[in-house]
Amino acid sequence: MISKALNSATGVLEELGSTFLFMLHSVGTFLREGVSFRQMVNQMYAVGVRSLSTTIFAGLFVGAIMAIEIHVQLRDFGAEGFLGGLATSVTIRNIGPVLIAFMLSAKVGAYTSAELATMVVTEQIDAIRCLGTNPISYIIVPRMIAVIICSFLLLTIGLMMSIGGGMVISNYFLHVSSQTYIQNIPRVVSWWSVGTGSVKSFVFGVLIATIACYQGYHAKGGAVGVGATVRRTAVQTLVCIIIADYMLSTISAFFYEWFRVGQL
Amino acid sequence: MMDTVGAKCIAVALELFAFLRLFFESVVGIFFESGRPHFRLRQVIDQMYAIGVESLPVIVFSLTFTSLMLIIEFSYHMKLVVRQDSLVPAFSTVLMLRELGPVITSLLLTSRVGASIAAEIATMKVTEQLDALRQLSIDPVAFLTVPRWFGCVFATVSLSYVALGVAILGGSAMAALKMHYPQEQFFNTMFIFTHYEDFLCCGLKAAVFGTIIPLVASHHGFRCKPGAEGVGNATTAAVVHSTMLIIISDFLLTYSLYAV
Repeated sequence: MISKALNSATGVLEELGSTFLFMLHSVGTFLREGVSFRQMVNQMYAVGVRSLSTTIFAGLFVGAIMAIEIHVQLRDFGAEGFLGGLATSVTIRNIGPVLIAFMLSAKVGAYTSAELATMVVTEQIDAIRCLGTNPISYIIVPRMIAVIICSFLLLTIGLMMSIGGGMVISNYFLHVSSQTYIQNIPRVVSWWSVGTGSVKSFVFGVLIATIACYQGYHAKGGAVGVGATVRRTAVQTLVCIIIADYMLSTISAFFYEWFRVGQL
Repeated sequence: MMDTVGAKCIAVALELFAFLRLFFESVVGIFFESGRPHFRLRQVIDQMYAIGVESLPVIVFSLTFTSLMLIIEFSYHMKLVVRQDSLVPAFSTVLMLRELGPVITSLLLTSRVGASIAAEIATMKVTEQLDALRQLSIDPVAFLTVPRWFGCVFATVSLSYVALGVAILGGSAMAALKMHYPQEQFFNTMFIFTHYEDFLCCGLKAAVFGTIIPLVASHHGFRCKPGAEGVGNATTAAVVHSTMLIIISDFLLTYSLYAV
């Protein structure tokens, strides 16, 4: 029992360490050799533009869900006037980035890792290496940068959409007019909240990109291996996102309390 | 432009139609035919173990972190709006029960279980094991999908309750440590605002999500194209589509359970 737990703990630490080393290696390659702009733009199209409609949908629905849930809690106190501010703040600061990043980790992370794993399994990476090209700088670095930029932009768009979703649902179904909803937002949401949401979005983008590229690049064993890689990528990304969310929330609350930044 | 939109809509409609067909086939597959069920009870129990027990640590861990995060965030918001944070346990527990418990559990299960079901069935399709099953006159839907469906519904519901229990305990410990909030007071405040119906909401949502995950996964597994690329695409599509369906059905459920 204990040895099993120790083994799995060592496994987790090893995985974490080698993912981090892989990231450092990619950053070093990027600093030394730069990045092919064309490859990066291709990847940004493949990853970003294709996920845009899904992200907009997810953002609208997440905003609507949070507006209803917050309204359920506020109606007991008769404080529906605060709906706009609280729902927007909760969505932008924590629930929104997490749920939309879950969506993106499937759409962007799993896609990238499946593509890379297919390349590894069908020995295309070895072919690239045989041609004297460094696969890290040719394949990995453009993908990583593209995924980071696209995830950040998509998360921001999704969060903006969530405000719209909450506004529409509260206007038509919760009997809080759009005007009240919008006017209430600046009473609760400060630049500190928006900043926290943006930092979270950026960190989640980095997590999605690093884990997807690492797992895809180290795939093993045929068609079964590709499926297993996608599964591992998705699970690791989600768990890392949740832990990072907790840490960033703590840091944000700490700064808010101690340094009085972003007070309204 | 219009052509693309129209083609997209038709593709989505066809996909939905095929998915509904699989759903009805699985419902039919539950029922006995000529006195014997298509699947064995043993398989259902195996799936319950594979889906439920093996995902337990990951889900308990993640939900506990979510609960801690919610307490910090709600303390921030309550201080901002009402200048004190005495109602934090009530708000965070209700939100965990009604929303985040089932949703985060099932999203984690989507990536863990949904992806592995899709990869498994897709591999079986690529290596022609599905054709072999058909030749033995075994219906692959009843034989493969139905046990996974039962196992997954059981796993989602029980996992979300177990993980929520641990998460709320973790949250109360966190509140006692950081916010100087005694345990008794935490649970008193919690039980004033948490109703019996919120527990039912959690179970109902979890059951619906538990239906979506294995059905979408096996739908994509059965339609997998040959080769390593096909398996990768099927697995990715399974995860993406079930996440999307979970968010949409969560909205519908939240809206219809609003009055409860």
